[in-house]
Amino acid sequence: MKFSLNIWRQKGPDEKGSFMTYEARDVSAGMSFLEMLDGVNQGLIAKGEEPVAFEQDCREGICGSCSLVINGIPHGPDRGITTCQLYMRRFPDGAAITIEPWRARAFPIIKDLVVDRRALDRVMQAGGYISVNTGGAVDGNVLLISKDQAETAMDAASCIGCGACVAACKNASAMLFVAAKVSHLALLPQGKPERTRRVKAMLGVMDREGFGSCGNQNECEAVCPKGISVRFIAALNREYLRAGVVELGLPAEPESPHAESA
Amino acid sequence: MARPSNHFQSTVGSKIVMALSGLGLVIYVIFHMLGNLQVFEGSHALNGYAAFLREMPILLWTARAGLLSIVVLHIMLAIQLTLRNRRARPVAYVVRQYRQASFSSRTMAASGLVLLLFIIFHLLHLTAGVIDSSSADRLDAEGHRDVYGKIIHAFQNPFIVALYLAGQLGLGLHLNHAVTSSLQTLGLEHAAFNRLFKAAGPTVALLVVLGNAAIILAIFLGIVRG
Repeated sequence: MKFSLNIWRQKGPDEKGSFMTYEARDVSAGMSFLEMLDGVNQGLIAKGEEPVAFEQDCREGICGSCSLVINGIPHGPDRGITTCQLYMRRFPDGAAITIEPWRARAFPIIKDLVVDRRALDRVMQAGGYISVNTGGAVDGNVLLISKDQAETAMDAASCIGCGACVAACKNASAMLFVAAKVSHLALLPQGKPERTRRVKAMLGVMDREGFGSCGNQNECEAVCPKGISVRFIAALNREYLRAGVVELGLPAEPESPHAESA
Repeated sequence: MARPSNHFQSTVGSKIVMALSGLGLVIYVIFHMLGNLQVFEGSHALNGYAAFLREMPILLWTARAGLLSIVVLHIMLAIQLTLRNRRARPVAYVVRQYRQASFSSRTMAASGLVLLLFIIFHLLHLTAGVIDSSSADRLDAEGHRDVYGKIIHAFQNPFIVALYLAGQLGLGLHLNHAVTSSLQTLGLEHAAFNRLFKAAGPTVALLVVLGNAAIILAIFLGIVRG
């Protein structure tokens, strides 16, 4: 198979970028999208040109490193997968494919298709700790958690932090990411003691990093490689409202053990 | 005590205020439509209803002031959030494909603007009588202001009918996404009710638009006469 690739090239964070067209030849239908790009890069290196920079790591859909907007959809046309799990048989032979980086103010471009997603890490940091005693492992079944609750928490926890939700959102909002992280801990007894300050801190950093607001269009859910549901966004909104109510009864300046993340 | 005002300065807080103010306006729009349906009962019913509303000037003006402040709050937050959202993606995608975002959810700002312009026109037209003063302040046989005669006169004009139907289109598009979206923003979500919440937007939009359009078209087509 062969493809005509329209790829965003940008030398550095402050450089002006533009689209360049490359031909991908001798592509086998069983190649993954990233393997196809590897082939193109081999060709560029052989010609003495700069290869296309893109992020990748595990290549089995669990690390959340790959981040390409393929023909206008983050992670490409298939649902519930990351870019590395997308195979070239999905595209008709000879197709033109446009490849763009995640586009958001909070995700500045480092080079070509690689963006800086540390804004998501800073949101996570603001979340802070959970109350688990150190020392020997806790006996099994000491903390009873119902099956339903454990499953729901796991659904939220399956977020790999790839940022496709931000890339797909019209407003470049990180609500689905924050919703998954907040809900996952708020559902479990270990995460409950800090839930009030956690939701406020994480949403505070989310706003400060320059992400947009949620428009409830549900595009994030559609491109999420882990299929995380927008119902967690409702849960996040609920959690935030709850925090507002709980805080009414708290002293104005509570002693914050998280001064470092504020 | 922590100040609740801080709580509403975040994007989620702003969204919650937008959702609450929007739902307040939705309730008004529903009752506005239901009240106006009395046009089908004839001039006695509608003019009596209008007179009943005007009998309590304090209540009327409180409601008007309340509505105006809710509208202003809703629009100010909408502008603030929209500007923020535009800034959040300075470089647009060259190719953009939506997977499940509905048309109405993607045109909320546009339908909101259409709605605002329509509401201004509507107030100048039927409430203040600035646009068409020919039938303003006439009294009916019982000494009530002849609201019935005024709207019968207004909807004989095809341009007015077209403008009002366009306004209804904007209203329907806006409500279709707005109601469901505001329930989500308020955190209302439960496996047993999710289908209900999802259907709420389209249902409310359809009922309000059908009710209003029925009045306009019934008069224009001569089913309801003066």
